[in-house]
Amino acid sequence: MTATVEADQRRRALPGWVRSPILVAAVLSVALIVVGELVSPGFGSYGQVVAMLRVAAFLGLIAVGQTIVILSGGAGIDLSVGKVATLAAIIASRVMQGDDAQTASGILLALAVCALIGLANGLGVVYLRITPFVMTLGMMGVVHGLILAYTGGVADGRAAPALVSLVNGRVFANIPGVVLIWVVVTVLVTLLLRRTKPGWDLYAVGANRVSAELSGVRVNRTVVGAYVASACFAGLGGIFMVGYTQTVFLNLADDLTLPSIAAVIIGGTLLSGGVGGYVGSAIGAVVLTVLTNLLTTLRMGEASRTVVNGLVLIILLAFYGRGRRLRS
Amino acid sequence: MIEVRDVGKRYGGVVALAGARFAAEAGEVHGLLGPNGSGKSTINKILAGSVRPDTGSLWVDGRQVQPGSPTESARLGIGAVYQQLTVIPTLDVEQNLLLGTEPGRWGLLDRRAGRERASAMLERLRPALGEHVGPGSLVGDLSPGQQQLIEIGKVLLRRPRILILDEATASLHRPQVDLLFDIVRELREDGVCVLFVSHRLDEILRICDRATILRAGRHVATVDLADTRPDELVRLMVGEKLAETTKVPSARRDEVVLQVDDLHAPGVAGVSLRAHAGEIIGLGGLQGQGQSDLLMTIFGALPRTGGTVTFRGRRLGHYRAARAARMGFALVPGNRGTQGMFSLRSIQENLSIVSLWRRTMAGFGISMRRERSAAREAVERLAIRLGSLDDPVSSLSGGNAQKVIVAKWLLSDPVVILLDDPTKGVDVGAKAEIYQIIRTLAAEGCTIVINSSDDRELAVLSDRVLVLFEGAVVAELEGEEIDEERLVSSALLVSARADREVSG
Amino acid sequence: MTVRTDAGDALRRLTTTHLPSWMPWLLLLVAVALSATLRDNFFSQYSISSTFATFVPLVLVAVGQAIVIIGGGLDLSIGAVAALSSVVAITVMGGDDGRVLLGVLAALATGMACGAVNGLIVAGLRLQPLITTFATASVFGGVTLWVLPTPGGRVPGMITGTFRLAIVGIPVTVWLVLLVAAAWFLLKRTRLMRHIYAMGGDPAAAYASLVPVRRSQALSYVLAGAFAGLAGLAILANSGSGDPFIGGAMALDSVAAVVIGGIALRGGIGSPLGAIGGAMVLSLASSILFFVGVPSTYRPLAEGLVVIAALALSALSDRRKT
Repeated sequence: MTATVEADQRRRALPGWVRSPILVAAVLSVALIVVGELVSPGFGSYGQVVAMLRVAAFLGLIAVGQTIVILSGGAGIDLSVGKVATLAAIIASRVMQGDDAQTASGILLALAVCALIGLANGLGVVYLRITPFVMTLGMMGVVHGLILAYTGGVADGRAAPALVSLVNGRVFANIPGVVLIWVVVTVLVTLLLRRTKPGWDLYAVGANRVSAELSGVRVNRTVVGAYVASACFAGLGGIFMVGYTQTVFLNLADDLTLPSIAAVIIGGTLLSGGVGGYVGSAIGAVVLTVLTNLLTTLRMGEASRTVVNGLVLIILLAFYGRGRRLRS
Repeated sequence: MIEVRDVGKRYGGVVALAGARFAAEAGEVHGLLGPNGSGKSTINKILAGSVRPDTGSLWVDGRQVQPGSPTESARLGIGAVYQQLTVIPTLDVEQNLLLGTEPGRWGLLDRRAGRERASAMLERLRPALGEHVGPGSLVGDLSPGQQQLIEIGKVLLRRPRILILDEATASLHRPQVDLLFDIVRELREDGVCVLFVSHRLDEILRICDRATILRAGRHVATVDLADTRPDELVRLMVGEKLAETTKVPSARRDEVVLQVDDLHAPGVAGVSLRAHAGEIIGLGGLQGQGQSDLLMTIFGALPRTGGTVTFRGRRLGHYRAARAARMGFALVPGNRGTQGMFSLRSIQENLSIVSLWRRTMAGFGISMRRERSAAREAVERLAIRLGSLDDPVSSLSGGNAQKVIVAKWLLSDPVVILLDDPTKGVDVGAKAEIYQIIRTLAAEGCTIVINSSDDRELAVLSDRVLVLFEGAVVAELEGEEIDEERLVSSALLVSARADREVSG
Repeated sequence: MTVRTDAGDALRRLTTTHLPSWMPWLLLLVAVALSATLRDNFFSQYSISSTFATFVPLVLVAVGQAIVIIGGGLDLSIGAVAALSSVVAITVMGGDDGRVLLGVLAALATGMACGAVNGLIVAGLRLQPLITTFATASVFGGVTLWVLPTPGGRVPGMITGTFRLAIVGIPVTVWLVLLVAAAWFLLKRTRLMRHIYAMGGDPAAAYASLVPVRRSQALSYVLAGAFAGLAGLAILANSGSGDPFIGGAMALDSVAAVVIGGIALRGGIGSPLGAIGGAMVLSLASSILFFVGVPSTYRPLAEGLVVIAALALSALSDRRKT
């Protein structure tokens, strides 16, 4: 409690516009695009920005679940999202095998498996009282095993054309479908968080579990629900991703776990839970995607990009996630 | 030897100290006296280096000092026994006694020297610790009193020139207190300056030479105890009496709303009670005798291990807080910050959360218009003073925050209201308002069960008081019988009896 | 004035101190018994030598992780640190027997430097250990790829050779595990380790009790880094070549070993000896899965389930005490 209050006070002590992490993130993403344009003309062109948004959408969808789990408090975090997204992509594409008739069943089956994984995470955290990071880290291992067992180590299967055109098809103003879906999801998730009972319960549970329990909120149910939602949104991100790549890889979305957490932190959601929202995370996903693209434009290799990703997260944490002092 | 000059400290919007001062000499036992929230503990934390004052200065041996950490404070010769224990429950007795001052060379522990020092202290404390506590006993397994003694031993091993004892006797039994006082007298002979913080008057009078009285973070008086009468001290502590003492007629009706029979739960040992509509039942006794546990169990927040709860004639099976809340139970818990509020969330959300389900569309969607009007109605009804409903609830003063917690329950139209020390840390004005709210609710037919650490509060409000000891009802006072004196004596009588049994 | 009964106290003591501390050894016994029935020559010197060779890296990492977790922290970068140390060492040595000592020092220094980075960020900037070390794992992983972009390199014959020797009839790999245990007995007698235990038990109380909390916290990560550096060497000795991707699963395995070893994740309770037992249980479990005949594509799943089962088991036993 003290930690979060203090973080809140520190944030309030910052001058003017810096107070809103969402605004800072938005300014940051624009600044990065401007820098990119200066370094490599064409970086900030309409087509390029739309292309970056399309890539950001996958990360953004995965970050929905991460936001919800982190908001639920109690050191909530989901380290299994990357693997879960990969698994969902693999299941969906294997069921579809490039056949439009199987699109719906592929998506539904993949999401159902994700929901079960999320349920296992939630039940482990709530009823076995396994620390969230340990539970989801362990689940990451299990899902990795599931992927190998299911595929036999060889990824096959293709996304259905319907899914491909849903993701890549330009609906209007040359904007691909997945970006529009992402915008709709952003609106819906924000409404869910701000204007529904489960949303308010989630904030209450994240802000103070004891108070929530003593206010008649069904804490356990809310927390389990958060983990189920996290796995489902991760799965959705993975499914759309395979619609983009069309063929599936065994490590398709594995590397998105760390960025999904980073996006949430950039967006100003408190790691201790109970404060924040999804719009920030969505902009955070844009910032990270633009940054990655900028690094690629600067001809930085895979290795350097991982280093930069880690550094960015630490710097962000230093801004937003400082812990409690032992003396006051 | 030590002097505190005009020290001020604020925590956010709360003023803990506003120009407190006192001075104490070597070989003196100096009492710091004051009601809850008077700033005693903050002074200690400042002396111990764990809190930095905003204004004012500290002087040790005539030199101004500014201890920035407990280690720096210890270097000045200050040893502090905190009100909140700083023993490590996962370490054993010896490790705790030596913590921070382990003998050794090049980072390696000298186990023999450590064992000798720890054993010597352990023997000194032996009469009060009991036979079974050895150097290898896990501190987490000891009773609170024993842990307190280990804490004291740890600080004594640092040989402080200035020793602070902050409510060090709170969890000690009589013989343990006697031993502590023997030690304090020895230290006084050796020229140690002892600051003794307590709100137990009798102990201050027993051990201290002089005392400084604080109220609301300010210095009230420093008195020589040899020529001060106890009632004079009380007057200095309490100040002018502000809280009302008048009683109003009971609103009790005949209908039994809540009946509890032989209730067992952690901390509750077979409690039975019948509560009527419009009745205010007080829970008295020393604090921590199961009053809070009883309220939590009735509310379904603690697991019931035996007995029955009958609500409006219907026997209830096992239920949890969420169901209790929907049936018409309300609980205002004892710790506002950790159990009652969502500090970081808005006042609006804090008010809505309990009764949200009654106003949602299809059990799901929230209409902000409805939430706003419900919240405004509650704010008006309880006269809560606030800026905007969207401000975080942590921006409110203690009294107003407590009213928000009461208000959120009123929005659910409760039948049984369980109040756990609802006016703790609340200023006098807000206290009177909360009394008024409680009476109005009773008049409207609500059944109220209230626990309070303030006996005067129980006397003023209750139609009936159940005195608890070790989780069971040991006395019941009704109507005219209820006054502060009888409440205190019945609480103390049973504990004295129990103490005799323990020591005898 | 809290109500407490003697019976309740006794029960609590029984469950707090005893249950988790014997659990890893019981599991180890079961694992050994299973292995012995599945493999006829399990107790032959060659078999013991190679079994322990697979233990050593995880044992080292688990002890390092245990120290950090006992101090109330967490190091998810420990696998990445081991990998980085191993590739630095192999690059420094360049397959030359004459530069083995240099390689050992380089691995240790790399490990401790990475630990210092973690320690300074966590203790100095007061950032949450979980996400900090998750992030530094990414940084160290990238640096590892700079040093050695693809698997390869040659480990000096002296290292791989020594690893297969036996001294007084006992394989070197067994000696190494015993050495780790001995190192722990020395560490346990330091003031630093006492302070790490205190800090993990209750940081605020430790601070008020004159424990230099920040320094102890930072040093706990440095210690873990040193163990990870040694683990990097053990990986080299075991595999004979360098692999920048080797650290992947080690963070999870080390945490699992620590949990099986009866160390409380909230800090302050348990002993790295338990983590050694936990590491051996985990290593044996995966070889048992191999000998039971679980097909190779199903083995990671089975291993993952074993880890989850172990976590659940220790969480359940942990729950009984509260």
